[in-house]
Amino acid sequence: MSAASSKEYGFLRANALSLAFGAVFVVTLGGQAISGTADFNAQQKANGLEPVSLLEYVTSSSFGVDVMENWQSEYLQFFLYIFATVWLVQRGSSESKKPGEEGTESDKEQKIGRHADEDSPKWAKTGDWRTVIFSRSLGLLMGALFLLTWVASSLVGWAAFNSEQLAERQDPVSWLGYLGEADFWNRSFQNWQSEMLAVGSMAVFSVYLRQRGSPESKPVGVAHAETGQTG
Amino acid sequence: MRGVRFVFAGYLLVIVLGIVYVSALGLMGR
Repeated sequence: MSAASSKEYGFLRANALSLAFGAVFVVTLGGQAISGTADFNAQQKANGLEPVSLLEYVTSSSFGVDVMENWQSEYLQFFLYIFATVWLVQRGSSESKKPGEEGTESDKEQKIGRHADEDSPKWAKTGDWRTVIFSRSLGLLMGALFLLTWVASSLVGWAAFNSEQLAERQDPVSWLGYLGEADFWNRSFQNWQSEMLAVGSMAVFSVYLRQRGSPESKPVGVAHAETGQTG
Repeated sequence: MRGVRFVFAGYLLVIVLGIVYVSALGLMGR
């Protein structure tokens, strides 16, 4: 069976993966907002304080820091994974290049400059600074998003930290002061560690385990020793 | 491929707006 052309696929089916995850993202963010409000209000009650509304909660630093500390770790994960898989291999993994293919590969293999195809992206054909940037654009975007989300999480974490300091009648800290607080690093490390475990285990689990039909897996009958996306 | 561009731009917009919104919450000290 040949692959269907884009004309046979409507907008929804052609973008099903991205749209489905986008929809689940919205639903789960809503779930976080509702359960977060309930959790926040349980603590307010325990401290003898007034409960807050859903709107007040989602415009609070308490909600913001819980969202952004998770975002930053996801983009760190993808940024590191995209770069690490250029240079490091895992023998037998569907997530890895074959041993011996480490590195950025030749212009011919990457179809850039004079090796570009007719339908190659414009910035792949030029062979100048545009190709240099385009060749790294996915990693650059993930790296930039990591830095931006990490800075955002530090700003909102700083505000949340200071409101807790004030509630406990302690002095607020400056933003730079917050970057040296255990709270900031605890929030960062607790998210980072889970991403590293998930990525490392996924890379090696895909050596011996299969998921029929998934591009994240080797075809079911392919040998364990076979590395790379063979099907 | 035209439709895919909208999904691409949509994701990027949501991420950037999220970053701006949460940063603003932090800077306003909410």
